[in-house]
Amino acid sequence: METITKVNTIKDKLIAEFESSKGSLFGDLSIREQALEAFSKQGIPNRKSEEYKYVNMELALKGEFLFSSSKKLSAKQIESSQFLKDAIVVVIENGKFNSEHSKINSLPQGLQVFNISDAISNDAFKKHYSKYSDVNLDPFIALNTAMSIGGVFIHVAKSAVVETPIHIIHLTSVSENTFLNSRNLIVVDENAQATIVESYEIIDSKAKSFNNAVTEIIVEANAIVDHYKIQDERDFGHLVCTTQSIQKKKSVFTTHTFTLSGLLVRNNLNMVLDDEFIESHLNGLYLTNGSQVVDNHTLVDHRKPNCNSNQLYKGIIEEKSSATFNGKIYVRKDAQKTNAFQSNKNILLSDDGTINTKPQLEIYADDVKCSHGTSTGKLDEDKIFYLRARGLSEASAKKLLMHAFASEVVGTIKIEALREYVEAKISKRFE
Amino acid sequence: MANEILAEQISGEYKYGFVTDIEADNAPKGLNEDIIRFISKKKNEPEWMLEYRLKAFKYWQTLEEPHWAHVSYTKPNFQDIIYYSAPKPKVQLNSLDEVDPELLKTFEKLGISIEEQKRLSGVESRIAVDIVMDSVSVKTTFKETLSEKGIIFCSFGEAVQEHPELVKKYMGSVVPYTDNFYAALNSAVFTDGSFCYIPKGVRCPMELSTYFRINASGTGQFERTLIIADEDAYVSYLEGCTAPMRDENQLHAAVVEIVTHKNAEVKYSTVQNWYPGDKNGKGGIFNFVTKRGICLEDNSKISWTQVETGSAVTWKYPSVILKGDNSVGEFYSVAVTNNYQQADTGTKMMHLGKNTRSTIISKGISAGFSNNSYRGLVRIAKGASNARNFSQCDSLLLGDKCGAHTFPYIEIKDKSAIVEHEATTSKIGEDQLFYCKSRGIDNEKAIGLIVNGYCKEVLNKLPMEFAVEAQKLLAVSLEGSVG
Repeated sequence: METITKVNTIKDKLIAEFESSKGSLFGDLSIREQALEAFSKQGIPNRKSEEYKYVNMELALKGEFLFSSSKKLSAKQIESSQFLKDAIVVVIENGKFNSEHSKINSLPQGLQVFNISDAISNDAFKKHYSKYSDVNLDPFIALNTAMSIGGVFIHVAKSAVVETPIHIIHLTSVSENTFLNSRNLIVVDENAQATIVESYEIIDSKAKSFNNAVTEIIVEANAIVDHYKIQDERDFGHLVCTTQSIQKKKSVFTTHTFTLSGLLVRNNLNMVLDDEFIESHLNGLYLTNGSQVVDNHTLVDHRKPNCNSNQLYKGIIEEKSSATFNGKIYVRKDAQKTNAFQSNKNILLSDDGTINTKPQLEIYADDVKCSHGTSTGKLDEDKIFYLRARGLSEASAKKLLMHAFASEVVGTIKIEALREYVEAKISKRFE
Repeated sequence: MANEILAEQISGEYKYGFVTDIEADNAPKGLNEDIIRFISKKKNEPEWMLEYRLKAFKYWQTLEEPHWAHVSYTKPNFQDIIYYSAPKPKVQLNSLDEVDPELLKTFEKLGISIEEQKRLSGVESRIAVDIVMDSVSVKTTFKETLSEKGIIFCSFGEAVQEHPELVKKYMGSVVPYTDNFYAALNSAVFTDGSFCYIPKGVRCPMELSTYFRINASGTGQFERTLIIADEDAYVSYLEGCTAPMRDENQLHAAVVEIVTHKNAEVKYSTVQNWYPGDKNGKGGIFNFVTKRGICLEDNSKISWTQVETGSAVTWKYPSVILKGDNSVGEFYSVAVTNNYQQADTGTKMMHLGKNTRSTIISKGISAGFSNNSYRGLVRIAKGASNARNFSQCDSLLLGDKCGAHTFPYIEIKDKSAIVEHEATTSKIGEDQLFYCKSRGIDNEKAIGLIVNGYCKEVLNKLPMEFAVEAQKLLAVSLEGSVG
């Protein structure tokens, strides 16, 4: 990329990049241009902006970036990330759909998987793409909508029950500093069921990568969707991960976020409960060490009556790392009989670590039951004593207690292979 | 049925909405350096005070009005406010007989009978009152009794004249003029307020009280309170506020600073009942207040208790900086909003010292079209080992057009800290109402009973005299708001 004019801010650089590359991007250009306009209004958030108070995005985006990478991973390298043996594998390599390594040849009935840039004429795609993630809400959504280079579109047809998990593997491997925008759209039609696992990994990377990923999930009436995010970008990946869901009548959507590593991880989870009798579950576990920064934002928007939402976020913070939980339950005027609960528990194990939590309730309906609770502390001395009195060393007593703390969230994983994988990762971490 | 009661209640008149016909000595409208010089000259202030004001004013001019709170209102026009208004007959007063009888009537209407207190001065339980009307302290009672113990309790203006060394040392030490927009404004234009100093080892024998009243129209009230408790001292301080009914929004931007030394304790209670505006949300006071205390030395304690029922827009966060080891901060709050009132209130607990503890109990009640937010910060700094915090903020919604919100911030940088936060939002349970009604208690009384029970934890913390008033206020603000 040649630099034509001297640009100063990160924002200007991004806008200039959009202008120079917009001809080669997929999809409707007007959507992208609107999004860019929204982005140029918001800019890259700094420490003064309320929503990005605890993550330094300006620092993370300092320097020069490429916006795609031509580096190719070998089949063997990709295979090492396929931790679910019997899954439908979709590989997103450096933000783009990789058809060579994706295993989508014999799909179960009712399931369709497309490279997102080939899906633009699909009706379901046209109906839902970029309809729910609000470009005015967050600059990273706007940026992604404007600049996304690829991703996957998954469509589960009406009444189809897909039992095999769909594993979307996001792999980053760059040789120069790269800013990637990948975009996924998942539509699950009425009465259908699906399980989606998204994993984020960095393999054989030699430079800084900043991954800005957006996944939109549409859960139609009576559909059931299980969604998992496994984030493991080691100690140098930057990841902004937005999941936007919209649910219709009597649907059930469960999402899990496991942040196992990554230098900077920001999760934006925006859930819209757009009809009655909906159930939503949000579970999260973050284990931080080194100088990691993990920031989990959730927004549960109760728009209609008689819905339930339940959040459980837990974190263990070590060394110089910092973790943030910012959860908002928003109950609109008409959403009577809402039950919304939120719980955030943290263990801080070092003097240099930081925990910031901001569990918020914004409620405009009176016949509701909403609560949140958060607690932060150290490992219980009494419990350690109890275990030590039974012959465990202090280290193993602590390890056991941390396992027990994490297991409440890990236990919500329904896929056995995935649960074992996460458990093994956690065990390794605590060693 | 319930709607009828509600309608009746909402149309209920604000009890304190009278205007006292006292001639006032006003400064011209607007704000500039000359006005500040005018105020300073009126108050006969020393040069350093004027300099402080001007510095604050200069800084204020560089600031923008904050807009992060969960409230919406038309910004006050700072050039359309009278920054100085003093009840005119202000000669040196030696006894109560010389006070303007109109003024005395005002206080009687407010329920503060100075005369009676004077008469009963031999009786054990008494309250020393400093009355601030339109920014100027009118009368401080029981001054002599207090001075025997070495306690200084006087208007801020007097303190500047008579105890400049104390004012110089402590003013701005907790809330510097650079703190925020309204603190800077207050530092520039404050007209009076209360000053209180409790010397070493003295336990103040009576409750000290300030009564604030806005009277003249078009004025803003900017008072400053400074309370210093020296080693081993104790004081319980009360603050009450009322204002007349007016169509316009009047601005109240006060600063309260508390300093506690070793083993000292200050208990600060507020019953805030500024005019909340009429049932259509017209008029009412903008209450933008900065209140902060610092536990400067070990084993000291600061406790805030507030019952907030008034003001069109409230924006206040009484805070405690827990600097000394083993120091304790407390915050107990009941905030009630009705009609179109908006409240964004809460606290900040900054744990800096070792073994510091803080407790936050906040009860929000919203009715009508109002919005009630709790916003709080608990920060455990690095090195503040064994810090402990417990927060509970509950919201009660009466009616389906109001909102209740919770925005707690928790920032922890020490591994030995234990911090807990809980919040719930709900309405009065049908079963609770049914239980009361089946025992022959009518709807209205049942609601009163339940609301009072809901707030009990906080009301219990109020001094006796205030607790009664607060309970009545709650009843007036809420009766019949649900059904």
